[in-house]
Amino acid sequence: MVSVLKAAVGGLMDVCRANNHLRGFLHNHLKLFAAGMKTYEIPPDYSNVVLPAKPKLKFLNKVPNLKKAKKEMKKLRDIQGPAKAANAFTVGQYAIVAMGGGYLHWGHFEMMRLTINRKMDARTTFARWRVNAPYKPVTRKGLGQRMGGGKGAIDHYVTPVRYGRLIVELGGKVELGEVESVLTEVAKKLPFPAKVMSREDLEALKKVHADMEQNNQNPWTFKQIVQGNMLGIRKVLSPFDLHNHGRFTGKFHLPGRV
Amino acid sequence: MAATLCAKLLPKQGWLPLSVSVRHGSKAVTRHRRPQHILKKKLLAVTEYIPPTRDAPPGAYPHQIKRGQEECTGLMLLIKEDLKKVFQDYKMIAVVQNNNSNTDDMLTLRHRLHKHGISVKFFPNQVMHLFLGDSIYGSMAPLFIGPTVLFVSKTPKLREMLSTLRVSPQMTLLGACIDNTLLSVQGVLHYSKLPSMTVVQGELVSGLTMLTSHTVSVLQRHPGQLSALLQQYIKQQSSETTSEAKTESAT
Repeated sequence: MVSVLKAAVGGLMDVCRANNHLRGFLHNHLKLFAAGMKTYEIPPDYSNVVLPAKPKLKFLNKVPNLKKAKKEMKKLRDIQGPAKAANAFTVGQYAIVAMGGGYLHWGHFEMMRLTINRKMDARTTFARWRVNAPYKPVTRKGLGQRMGGGKGAIDHYVTPVRYGRLIVELGGKVELGEVESVLTEVAKKLPFPAKVMSREDLEALKKVHADMEQNNQNPWTFKQIVQGNMLGIRKVLSPFDLHNHGRFTGKFHLPGRV
Repeated sequence: MAATLCAKLLPKQGWLPLSVSVRHGSKAVTRHRRPQHILKKKLLAVTEYIPPTRDAPPGAYPHQIKRGQEECTGLMLLIKEDLKKVFQDYKMIAVVQNNNSNTDDMLTLRHRLHKHGISVKFFPNQVMHLFLGDSIYGSMAPLFIGPTVLFVSKTPKLREMLSTLRVSPQMTLLGACIDNTLLSVQGVLHYSKLPSMTVVQGELVSGLTMLTSHTVSVLQRHPGQLSALLQQYIKQQSSETTSEAKTESAT
């Protein structure tokens, strides 16, 4: 009886002291009261987040609106090497980042748009494209046509993507855990290796690379050897290697190189 | 069979292909990586990233604690007094490293050592360093790193201790202080091979008494024999002196 009374009084005291200073013989009885008390983490501050008027992904045209469609060459250079545009965050917090080069066509755009628009919460989240609508024409010859007779007609349009480019950016009053599953689901279906990253992740990735370049214990670096044209090595290398220091072969990124 | 196959399949070491077939024409296929020139492959292999060597893990080295910052509690002082008594009373103090021995091992070890009158003592390293810092045993301080145990006994019983330690692989002898002399492991081994004090004393006494006993035995023989011996002795002495005189005159 006495202990119950003590517990009750102790519980009241405990509430006053914010569950921190349990001391003395009351402690054992206080456990009963302290069991339900939990200190929750302070939720992140979203006071400075401004949601745009149209939070969902925009529909992108399948065919660009051109007066005269011109056939182009393959120009594979547009998927080789690192991205020079859209390789950093602008408004969002989380993004799908390309880990290799490749071409996105309209089907991929539709898949991304439909999945993300359906699964994200438009009241708290917004999404933005970081790639343009398909603009590069790809030609094909008709089925059953004999070879020759010039270049085929334009079949479809694609968007070239290089390593490190952001595809879709998400932001708003959400945490990564809430949108990660949707984004990974989308990233798996893209025609190149892609990862879901937050702002911090991307910064960390860049920092890791900078650190590797700084702390490399190998006295021979690709850059130095190729720039000096040691032993006439430029004979077997391309200008592409001169710029990218052996970090890429075509559209593929070679991880772990400096 | 497998060996010959492997030998055929594996490229020879230090062999350069005479002609490298790398096509320079169409680069349209992006599905897979294009084959690279062997020189480029070699260049890539040579210029791999080498990470910097990692530092020693934290805790690998003892902390550098400054003398002034150490706090002495009452308990520490008490243990220090005990330690002082141990160093006064016991003649043999062996420092042994305790490598993860469990209670059973320790119990059996204690039992075995107790038979020879050696006891096992545990002291915290902090207190040990505190004690060693201002005593004459200061040079023992480097032995006390990590889990260490003291084997102490009133008389130096090294041979028994070493034979016991040979049985228990968890314990490693680091050094010992015997009769206020610091010994390394080698020193301890050499010390244990020495004969005991009584044996040495006996040898000395026997060596000294042998000469006198020999004289006595010579004196107790027949007088004729004794006189012959003495005559021979005198002859030898005289011949030596004459030869010496001759050499002196010649010079």
